[in-house]
Amino acid sequence: MFDEALRMEDIHLAYNDLVGAMFSKPRILGYFRGVEMDPQKELISNVNLSVMRGETVCIGGPSGQGKSALLRIIAGLTRPTRGNIYYFGEYIPPEKLTALEVAKRQVGMVFQNGALISNLKVRDNIALPLRYHKMGTASEIEDKINMAMDLMRVRDEADLYPHMLSTGMQKRVAIARSWAMDPKLLLMDEPTAGLDNYNRRNLLPLIDNMRTLFKTTILIVTHDLMISKELDCNICFLHRKTLTEPKPFEYWLNSDTDISKELFRDLRTSG
Amino acid sequence: MKIRIRRNWQRFTLPARAFHLLGLFLLRRPFGQQIALFCRAVASVFSKNRNLKTDSRNIIMQTFFTAVEIFPILFIVATLFGTIVIIEVISMMSKIGFADFVGSMIVVVIIRELGPILTAFLIAGRSGSSLTTYIGSMVINSEVDALATMGVNPIRFLVMPSLIGGCIAMFIMNIFFSASAIFAGYLVTKGAIIITGNMMNIQLTWSYLSTEILNAITLTDFIFTILKPLAFGAIITTNACYQALNIQRDVRQVPKAVSRSVIKSFLYVVVADVILSIFYFVDYMNNLSTLI
Repeated sequence: MFDEALRMEDIHLAYNDLVGAMFSKPRILGYFRGVEMDPQKELISNVNLSVMRGETVCIGGPSGQGKSALLRIIAGLTRPTRGNIYYFGEYIPPEKLTALEVAKRQVGMVFQNGALISNLKVRDNIALPLRYHKMGTASEIEDKINMAMDLMRVRDEADLYPHMLSTGMQKRVAIARSWAMDPKLLLMDEPTAGLDNYNRRNLLPLIDNMRTLFKTTILIVTHDLMISKELDCNICFLHRKTLTEPKPFEYWLNSDTDISKELFRDLRTSG
Repeated sequence: MKIRIRRNWQRFTLPARAFHLLGLFLLRRPFGQQIALFCRAVASVFSKNRNLKTDSRNIIMQTFFTAVEIFPILFIVATLFGTIVIIEVISMMSKIGFADFVGSMIVVVIIRELGPILTAFLIAGRSGSSLTTYIGSMVINSEVDALATMGVNPIRFLVMPSLIGGCIAMFIMNIFFSASAIFAGYLVTKGAIIITGNMMNIQLTWSYLSTEILNAITLTDFIFTILKPLAFGAIITTNACYQALNIQRDVRQVPKAVSRSVIKSFLYVVVADVILSIFYFVDYMNNLSTLI
């Protein structure tokens, strides 16, 4: 139990709850709303997942299956209709499950579009959470920012605004920003989407570095199945509203299930 | 197939359940949610992440943003508005034989009632709308979500500085409005009198106007010039932030939210003004009973 980073039990999410917890509304409202269970209206039903510390797991599947919604549930941005989530062995009851509460447990998230604060420079973007949480003195924070920028190789762009950067650069800055917070669990939403092959090949070793150097647990949502082969990690699929068991890439390549027939057909023929 | 899960609150006793339902009734309405947002923003001032330097910088930036850029427009509106009020009051009052009440009429119209309301309208139209667009586009780009996943409370980071900055800017701008309506309005009235060639007929001097106004102004007017702008500023910024945070990840919702923000600010400001004016009514009734 102690080496478990994340456990999800029996997670259900209805389409109505997809919008998520909005900061304009008091969070107590969602808790007191009557819970209706209708399997027809569910986007995700009965998802179970358990991730060990230091492990990397990919969640794959075709688009429109609710992969990003699943990640939003884990980050606390969307409240599941039903189900329990344990972070590092600690249960958070549904009425307390907010993004702020989850972030306290050192869970970081990298968004699909980077989601950098557009009126702050790259350096200030990375510094913002550190300064807000007062993690160390000014010089310590400065060191941390420089380290994060070196790790993701965005040091030269430190004084640019996010709109001056390319998509790949923005994504790297977003990863640097999450890394600077020392996350124990890092959630990544489509880290390679919209990147060309060159940038993609540059990004994957960075993720690999982070995993080996800092023992971060990483959960990657992707439709790019080769990531799991290149990072040598298990991959599970969101298929028919539920999550399959995490298995290595080779298992899926050679197995005889529906998923591997649908998704791995191209990969099989090519080699 | 529907399963209803029985929660804790359904086992409450009857009065507790009545309170519970009343609270939920209020919190489901936008009005109750706005009050809750205001309370959360005020409470977040005291959170343990407070940092005097960054907070004061954010607040000062918001104040500048709200106050300084609107100043030219506000000055012109205030001057012309003051001119109209002074001309109308002087011409009407002497006609119906209440020339002694010129000062109190100007105090009532400019300082007490329409000054704060017009300032609030101008600030709602300019700063309220831009605040809604700013936070709304942050919601669309999921920057607000990113803030939350980093543990940065969006209410503290976005709503609180704009709330306090808006209140301060509204307070300062209201004083500017009343002052320029009376001073510059007086000068423009003088100019208008000279242009129309009525110098001989209308004897309007600054000493006459200022003594009339100073005689008419009371302590409650002073209190209300502080209270009203603060209330209006809080209403405008809370409403703007609420409408922005309420956008549901859809770009088409941003213009709708902006127009809702401005129009509802107008509505709430006038309603709040009426509620505050009840004080004068009560005051008048008390005086009436002592007279009788």
